[in-house]
Amino acid sequence: MIQLPEAKPQDASLNPFLPEEMRLVRRYDLTPDVRFFQVRPLDMERALTLDYKPGQFMMISLAGVGEAPFSISSTPSRPGMLEFCIRKVGKVTTNLFQRKENSIIGVRGPYGNGFPFEKMIGNDILIVVGGLGAAPLRSLLLYILDNRDKFGKFYFLHGAKTPNEMLFRKEFFEIKERTDLNCFLTVDEDKEDNWPFHVGLVTDLFTKIEGIDAENTYATVCGPPAMYKFVIAEFLKLGIPKHQVLMTLERRMHCGIGKCGHCAIGPIYTCLDGPVFSYWDVLHMKDLI
Amino acid sequence: MKALKLKREDLYTYLESLKSYGELWGPVPKGDKYVYARLTNVRDVALEALRTIIPPKKFFVPPRFNMFRYFDDHYEEAFDDVKRRVLFGLHPCDIHGILILDELFLERFPDPYYKRRREATALLGLSCVPDDKCMARSTNTHAVEGGFDLAFNELGDNYLVWVGSSLGDDLVRLNIDLFSEEIEPSDLKTYLAWRRKRDSRYKLTFDLTGMPDIMELSWDAPLWQELAEKCLACGSCSMVCPTCNCFNVRDLSDLTLSSGVRQRHWDSCMNKEYALVAGGHNFREARAERLKLWYTHKLKAFITEYGKPSCVGCGRCIDTCPVDINVAEVIRGLTGQKVTL
Amino acid sequence: MVKKPKVGFYSFSGCEGDLLTIIHCEDELLDIFGAVDVRSFRMASSERHDDESLDVAFVEGSITTKQQSEKIKKIRERSSVIVAIGSCACYGGPQSARLGYDDWEERFKKVYAGARLTIVKPQESQPLDEYIKVDYYIPGCPMDKHQFFYALTRLAKGMPVELSRFPVCAECKWNENECLLLKGQLCLGPVTAGGCNSRCPNYGLPCIGCWGPTDEANVASEINLLKERNFREQEIVNKLRLFGGSSMVKRFGELLGIKKTSHASSVKTISRSGKKPAASKSSTTGNK
Repeated sequence: MIQLPEAKPQDASLNPFLPEEMRLVRRYDLTPDVRFFQVRPLDMERALTLDYKPGQFMMISLAGVGEAPFSISSTPSRPGMLEFCIRKVGKVTTNLFQRKENSIIGVRGPYGNGFPFEKMIGNDILIVVGGLGAAPLRSLLLYILDNRDKFGKFYFLHGAKTPNEMLFRKEFFEIKERTDLNCFLTVDEDKEDNWPFHVGLVTDLFTKIEGIDAENTYATVCGPPAMYKFVIAEFLKLGIPKHQVLMTLERRMHCGIGKCGHCAIGPIYTCLDGPVFSYWDVLHMKDLI
Repeated sequence: MKALKLKREDLYTYLESLKSYGELWGPVPKGDKYVYARLTNVRDVALEALRTIIPPKKFFVPPRFNMFRYFDDHYEEAFDDVKRRVLFGLHPCDIHGILILDELFLERFPDPYYKRRREATALLGLSCVPDDKCMARSTNTHAVEGGFDLAFNELGDNYLVWVGSSLGDDLVRLNIDLFSEEIEPSDLKTYLAWRRKRDSRYKLTFDLTGMPDIMELSWDAPLWQELAEKCLACGSCSMVCPTCNCFNVRDLSDLTLSSGVRQRHWDSCMNKEYALVAGGHNFREARAERLKLWYTHKLKAFITEYGKPSCVGCGRCIDTCPVDINVAEVIRGLTGQKVTL
Repeated sequence: MVKKPKVGFYSFSGCEGDLLTIIHCEDELLDIFGAVDVRSFRMASSERHDDESLDVAFVEGSITTKQQSEKIKKIRERSSVIVAIGSCACYGGPQSARLGYDDWEERFKKVYAGARLTIVKPQESQPLDEYIKVDYYIPGCPMDKHQFFYALTRLAKGMPVELSRFPVCAECKWNENECLLLKGQLCLGPVTAGGCNSRCPNYGLPCIGCWGPTDEANVASEINLLKERNFREQEIVNKLRLFGGSSMVKRFGELLGIKKTSHASSVKTISRSGKKPAASKSSTTGNK
């Protein structure tokens, strides 16, 4: 039986607001403004036992700068290292980009609900990524690949604006070669004419999907806001039930543990009850997206 | 729950004895209003005070405080200002407010900053007779059956003192000779008469039945825009609300640049940058959206989650908002009554 | 630690209260000089290096002469970051209270009559950003030293400065002051940027708006409210404009009945020919 990673709340005697010191082991640019970070707890034992679920996030906490939530891009099925895929947009990310390899940064977490594997196991899986949406969904993608026998048919559709703006290009090209999933890659435009695959919107790739058992499929999407409407329409066209259409949301957060109030939407806190929500949730909470 | 009697004239003597437990705090006048202040002289306590400018939440989550100091290579938690305190004069609505904060701060990922302060504080209630801004009867928070250590209830020449906790019992024992255990039938009569008097004084009432549904149906109501045109977005409503608990966190560096503090301070969803995320997207750009969030949270979300509103009917929003946007007005507006704005 | 940033402090028209605020930080002054490399600060040191490039220039005062407008442009050219400190630099200060009324020349003549101008060419008082790009604003009359420290440490670490965006009311509540507005006073707390720790209300004095308007100041509602409380419209407008300067012209010009004049190009220096500008109306439209 697959080992379900449990989202463990920290020991109540510990102060959840105190960041844990972690080492920035490796960093490199995925695109000019998106950088990949590998981070691990100073203690190796802790690094190997730090458990999380795909879809969960961590607060990166830089003393003197501030904190911000980031999706985890790595998979718990490959323990030892936390990976993040981060675009430079604000003060925390700007400062993080200045940090050199081997420097120490603060991290707290993991937080949030993560993907509901207990329900997803045994089902067909459909992952649709646009641009930076790869940050949280790469975790899910790798996790499913590492536990491939526990899931049914598996489609991974990926869209980027241009070939140069594609994140994890080498890795996804390799995944495309695998025979245990159906991976389709596209770019919106290819001015240099060096893209070997489809050119067009990610929704074009839905024509490639065949033979999935819609009633028993979990579909998930993450990407730029404009993309959701169209991708969800495609999911529904396939006949996937609304509560099996999943997405991860972003909100301002100052705590990650349901206290600061900033991520509240109706009766839920994005940091505790999310960031993974179903389309059914979204339909019932007017300002979720 | 154990009930005792304390002679009115012995109150000050008893308050004095409480100082051996910790700092004694209670309401005192400030201009025409009241604030919770340290009672160095027990006779300074304003027994007539109804609502303080800001609620007792300031004891558990101060408006701003340091969470920890950071240094080049380590953190030091800051709990220096946590002191053992006795809060006297808490009205039932404010105790309900604290109980709501308890649910938010002590459940699921307990907040150590709240917890330490809360555990160091004894809560001593005091009955009150409402004025024209009290709404506690409508929110069902006009009486309190638990959550306090001691509760003092007016009873003719005496106070009826409910002992609500083990700590409360310890506090009674600080000067046990002042208390009597003999409750007579006439006391019940006096108590019931007082209760009738109190209940008859609630002039401001509203019906919260089905409020979540009403709010759902009012999502696109023009009311929000009308309110937003008046709203000054000053955030005062959040600061004075006993259950508003949002906060912001920021790092303040020392001039040496190698150390500093991470500070937490009260925030308000009326603040424009409340839902602003890195990159510039604001999830609640419009003032009407933020006003709606404030009231949705009190009157819909909390009811859905906990079966009760997170408004305790204290009337501080009525007392505070310069342009008269408050729970009573909004409910009037939502239930199709005339809004007097 | 990275190299200490080179910093300069400059002063234009104003009371120099902001630089004085820094000088008065006796406990912290040495640390300030330790955190950054101060290259120019005439109130603190006679040593000046006014020709080299700077990482940050803190500038107080408004621009009121042609010479100043040239000097500020030169400071801009050699500074990576410009921080306007104090309300004069941010909005023009009280000397800009009549900005946009377009009667500067007349006013000038009324005050100085036939005085012969020899040294400087005076012009309408304007904030820095009328002439140059300003990166950060630390308003206040004077600014608050804690906000200055915050900005200084942020910039020394190469980070952006994000100041409080609360109106004065928020801090005023934290300090548990009685609401002066509700007591019938002309208080601008709800529309004025906070960060001052509600300094005036703490002493029982109403907010005079010296930090300028908040991001989201609902000036129309504030005016209505004050009118309901029997303040005259002109009195309210004068109060808003006392420290509001260019921010009132730019953001609430229409509401306050101010004609928008903008850009340095339209700023007139006194002309010998003394052409009389058309008098502009100063009535207000109040609220819709």
